[in-house]
Amino acid sequence: MDVFLQTLVAGVLKGGLYALIGIGMTLIMGVMGIINLAHGQLMMLAMYVTFVLNTMGVDPYFSLFVAMPLLFLLGVGLQKFLLNPLIKADTILPENQVLMTVGIGMALTEIVRFGFTSDYKYITTTYSNETFFLGKISFSMALTIAFGIAIAFTVAMFFFLIKTDLGRSIRATAQDKDAATLMGVNTGRITVITFGLGSALVAAAGCLLAPVYYIFPDLGGPFTAKAFIITILGGLGSTVGAIFGGVTLGLAESMGATYFGMEYEDIIGLTIFVLVLLFLPGGFKRLTKV
Amino acid sequence: MKKNLLPILLLAVLAAVPLVLQDNYYLHLLILFLMWVVIGSAWNLIAGYTGQVSFGDAAFFGCGAYTAGLLATHFGVSTWWGLALGGFTAVAVGLPFGWICFRMRGAYFALATLALNEVLRHGATIAEGFTGGMVGILIMPSFVSKIPYYYIALALAAASLASLQWVVRSKPGYYFVSIREDQDAAESLGIDTHLYKMLSLAYAAFWTGMAGALYMNYMGFIDPHVVFNLHDISIMAILVGIVGGVGTVYGPAVGAFVMVTVQEMFRSGFFGLFKWLGAVSGSDSLVRVAAVLTQAHVLGFGLLVVVVILFLPNGIVGDWPKIRKRVFRLDAGA
Amino acid sequence: MRGMIKGASVVAAVMLAIGATTGGALAADGIKVGVLLPLTGSQAKFGEIEKRSYEMAAAEINAKGGVNGKKIELLFEDDTGKPDVGRSGVEKLISREKVPVITGGYSSSVTAAAAPVAQQFKVPFVICTGSADDVTEKGYDYVFRVNPPASEYPNAVKSFLHEVGKDVKTIALLYENSAFGQSSSKSFEADAVALGLKIVVKEGYQAGAIDFKPILTKVKAANPDMIYMVSYVMDASLLMRQSKELRINPKMFVGGGAGFTLPEFAKSAGDASDGVYSATLWVDTLPFPGAKEYASNFRKKYGSETEYHGAEAYAAMYVVADALKRAKSITPRDVRDALVKTDLKTAFGPVKFISYGKKTQQNKLDTYLVQWQKGNLEAVWPKSVATKKYIYPTPHWDKRK
Repeated sequence: MDVFLQTLVAGVLKGGLYALIGIGMTLIMGVMGIINLAHGQLMMLAMYVTFVLNTMGVDPYFSLFVAMPLLFLLGVGLQKFLLNPLIKADTILPENQVLMTVGIGMALTEIVRFGFTSDYKYITTTYSNETFFLGKISFSMALTIAFGIAIAFTVAMFFFLIKTDLGRSIRATAQDKDAATLMGVNTGRITVITFGLGSALVAAAGCLLAPVYYIFPDLGGPFTAKAFIITILGGLGSTVGAIFGGVTLGLAESMGATYFGMEYEDIIGLTIFVLVLLFLPGGFKRLTKV
Repeated sequence: MKKNLLPILLLAVLAAVPLVLQDNYYLHLLILFLMWVVIGSAWNLIAGYTGQVSFGDAAFFGCGAYTAGLLATHFGVSTWWGLALGGFTAVAVGLPFGWICFRMRGAYFALATLALNEVLRHGATIAEGFTGGMVGILIMPSFVSKIPYYYIALALAAASLASLQWVVRSKPGYYFVSIREDQDAAESLGIDTHLYKMLSLAYAAFWTGMAGALYMNYMGFIDPHVVFNLHDISIMAILVGIVGGVGTVYGPAVGAFVMVTVQEMFRSGFFGLFKWLGAVSGSDSLVRVAAVLTQAHVLGFGLLVVVVILFLPNGIVGDWPKIRKRVFRLDAGA
Repeated sequence: MRGMIKGASVVAAVMLAIGATTGGALAADGIKVGVLLPLTGSQAKFGEIEKRSYEMAAAEINAKGGVNGKKIELLFEDDTGKPDVGRSGVEKLISREKVPVITGGYSSSVTAAAAPVAQQFKVPFVICTGSADDVTEKGYDYVFRVNPPASEYPNAVKSFLHEVGKDVKTIALLYENSAFGQSSSKSFEADAVALGLKIVVKEGYQAGAIDFKPILTKVKAANPDMIYMVSYVMDASLLMRQSKELRINPKMFVGGGAGFTLPEFAKSAGDASDGVYSATLWVDTLPFPGAKEYASNFRKKYGSETEYHGAEAYAAMYVVADALKRAKSITPRDVRDALVKTDLKTAFGPVKFISYGKKTQQNKLDTYLVQWQKGNLEAVWPKSVATKKYIYPTPHWDKRK
């Protein structure tokens, strides 16, 4: 029983972080209909921002306030100057935008490698190694805080999308771009803002992950993969879906690691991904309708 | 016939290369180039002609390579049997996958191919007893000289280009393009899109698997990270395709030449040019430029992708008229 | 289309011209030695330490008159940690640079892929680090290895268990799914079973996992006497941090080489690294000629610490230079014949290429056990080289101050 509970806690806490990574992706995918294969690389960039600030004595949680705006601007720039021009280009393959994000991801990774080398960087804080116990179950302090912040961001995002004008425009664009344009929404601007928001959210995930993990230029790839698994699980454009998707993936990985073996961790995630694509296209969103 | 003159001429030139050039280093680069011609044109059929972008070419490449390697380790037969069977193993993996996943469209299908590759990579890593895991499979290559490999690679490349040309001019070839242009319209015209997509995938899987089997024979070493590699195989295949030109027969061949050259150019610091200049002129900064360039080879790749997609979205061959026009206008201005 | 082909052929011609001028233009009076190392990519950190060690050793040898008056010139080839790149690197060294001998080889898989090339072209390859067992089990007569193979890394652990850790009965084995991790965990498992120990948990994992708590929870439930981990530096650090979080209390935590001996491990794991043992191949307190000088000169010259990988590279350079001095002529064949007769005392230990078991032309060396004590890496086993006494069993997490 202890083993089960501990695994459950580990899965849910990791799932919180995954959710935050997923929300950014789900927004971008929902609004623009493209897969951003540079998503993990954007998170990696935010982790380096956190690292640099940390060497100046700034706590990783405070660096949220720097990393998020910075990545927002970067996301806006990428969308405006690299991705949007492609919509007009006359090409055979509609996937050019996706391929562009691959190129952006590669370039980001290598630029960071240039500045920081391939060396592993790490951030040690007073709470990196802290734990507290409920009964026999241990909770990592840093992961618990990260989980709390991730949930807060997600809830805030949810209300932003439901209650504000900008949020409504984003949702309208996601649902039907042409209709939104006809209704007077400047969809070009909306895609730019959405990419910025998505980048800022994944930046937040990076800041929260930094103290419990380590940092190196190549870490983006696996997280990009996790992000789109979560997005497919949760359903495009659905913040609530992203939470469910993130926690489900976290739980599946942890349970799989405990009861099957840790080497199957990634296979389990990918299998769920393909199963959802096939049997529940649209993801959890189809069940919850949110 | 006149249209085929240039390729045949080029083939003759390539066939004559080992007679004049016996430098192993250049032969090695040429073998890699020919291998990428095979992979690139296979990718081009499924993605460029049929419009089903694959992010998982490495899955088929790895199947071919592992067929060759496993035949050697488990049955003690020559890895050359891989060239006979590797393509079919890849098809055997590709067909059930396609049957399940071709109900997805566009980017979703691309992601599914990516997932297929990842599953195979993890599977090959975990199944230590069967595949040797990350320790990999090591064989002693059959020939010391590169020339036999060169001719085998050349034969594969020529055969794959010839078959591509034949396929795209056949009836299925037109069906493939109609699926790319508008799947629903193609369906309403009575084309069994599912079937033709599977055919297209089988073709791509076959040739990519053959390239994988060639790789095993030529390199003599594989492990799951080498052959089921997202960056070095799957993305490289896409780059070869888009740099050369999607939906053109010879585009990927041009793309393969450009990509292999660019890769080696960066890796070796422009073939040692800067280092040599630095040594001759005694200038430290040139040596440093060489070092930086060598380190930046993946960055160069990334930027190349960005630039090509932005300015030559249909690749060098696809946008050749545009390039020519630009260059001419430049000439007129100067 | 026609213009395009023309352009391509111009490019090709320029390439050829450059190649012709640069190949062999350098070093008419020196001896070229090819070195294969990961200088970029994720293993570049170790590649850098080894490159510096090679350069240091070559500079020392050249300052003392070089090889019979000729200077050694090192030609580094970057394998980027990838076997195929490593292979073409070796080919380039052999066919373009015409080097009489190659050394280096960091990762197990790159080394395994590069060795047959050297063998086929009949150019001696002196491996300094790549540890996959089967490289020296194929009967290659042009391949030599200075370092022990992966299966021998835990020899000191075995003797420690035999003499001190007699109450260790059960073992949990965690390893990363890499060539080094898979092959060394397999041989460790066989060794443990031969010693009458029981493996209660055996788990591989993909390097780069965020959360090891699921398997560590399983390990905790099995309550082993010893946890043996084969991991690179950051996974090693996470494993220890999360073991502390879960309060797992075996009698020993042991690392199987690679990541556990690096300063970054202790720094990033903090107090969770205290008391952790690791197998290692070298420490600077060993009574080998030049060991201490090498470590202190390295620190002086580069301002950072070296470790066993560096010592391997440093020693390999001396082995190569020694063979070049004794060789009848500077041709691959004669250098190979000289290497066979190597009998040299190096900073890494005595080097002699012998055959034993299935292995040929393999150097046989002892291995050692180190332990992190208050942030310092101390040699603790065998007793003859110990700098501090071992702390055994490791105190429980809750009882530490």
